[in-house]
Amino acid sequence: MSLHLYQIVIAIIAIFMIYQGIDNYIKGKHHPTILKLLVRVVVWGGMAAVALFPMITVTLAKIIGIEGNLNAVILTGFILVFLMIFKLLSAIERVESQLSDVVRNDALKNLETRNPKPKTRRKE
Amino acid sequence: MDKFYVVIPAFNEGRVIKKVISEIRKSGFENIIVIDDGSDDDTFDQAKESGTVALRHKINRGKGAAVKTGIEAAKMEGAEIIATMDGDGQHNPGDLGNLIEKIKEGYEVVLGARTKKRELMPLRKRMANFAANVFTWYLNGIWVTDSQSGMRAYSKKALDLVDTKSSRYEYDSEVIREIYRNKLKFTEIPIEVRYTEYSMGKTEKQGFLNGLKTVYKMIWNILS
Repeated sequence: MSLHLYQIVIAIIAIFMIYQGIDNYIKGKHHPTILKLLVRVVVWGGMAAVALFPMITVTLAKIIGIEGNLNAVILTGFILVFLMIFKLLSAIERVESQLSDVVRNDALKNLETRNPKPKTRRKE
Repeated sequence: MDKFYVVIPAFNEGRVIKKVISEIRKSGFENIIVIDDGSDDDTFDQAKESGTVALRHKINRGKGAAVKTGIEAAKMEGAEIIATMDGDGQHNPGDLGNLIEKIKEGYEVVLGARTKKRELMPLRKRMANFAANVFTWYLNGIWVTDSQSGMRAYSKKALDLVDTKSSRYEYDSEVIREIYRNKLKFTEIPIEVRYTEYSMGKTEKQGFLNGLKTVYKMIWNILS
């Protein structure tokens, strides 16, 4: 079976994303849940499967009633756009979360002034 | 009762916040923390004048972020039980006692369900609540009768374990997910909700579009 470059690239990205999901789940990072992991495996695994075995789309097209195959260029473009949006939204969420933390710490400073933490005595 | 704190997130509630605080005091609870979430009005000054611990977010970060700030503040004050309630006066502080009782019985999280006098709840709100419950159940694994209620109580163990990252209204559903994730013992108790002209006006601001945003955020939190 000869593979095109785009198939290899998509497969590598999918493997990386699935690996990251499994790693997060095992290490308990970013609120892992089994549902989250399953969604990640299905989405990225599905993309890899379609990229590596494009004939799946013919079978899928017959099952859902749409005739014809998916164009590889459109598929690649779609995946790239999807990937970019995914990363962009992740970055926005991260910045939003950090902004909340900064605002929270600023608000809590007033409380710390009211209740100063006891100073630890330095060892002689 | 020294170690019991009431946390109130408030955004543009200057008209009613003093009354809300006064009602809580009349119900016998003195430890109150108000978080002004970047209001444009005098919510912060009103809360401060009332003699509560008043904290201010310099910019609006959403209900979830404000509640989290309040909980952090209460923990710094040494709280062992924390209850949260909305700042628009829709909750009856008379229900706080029942929430605390349940925590003392051994529950780690008590969710106030707005099921008392349910017939007073507008139909569209009931439908929106049901849809939110279904989404919460599907995405977070627990069925509750009021997933969006802001009146809740937490034990010290729950306070240490519940770790949320949502800033906006999806916070309420995220807490349900945290209950599921940490296997916390929880229960729901019926609470009264008072639909005044004022609180209904606030509800209008959390209409269909915000509901969709909340659902989107809930799904995003699963995917990301």
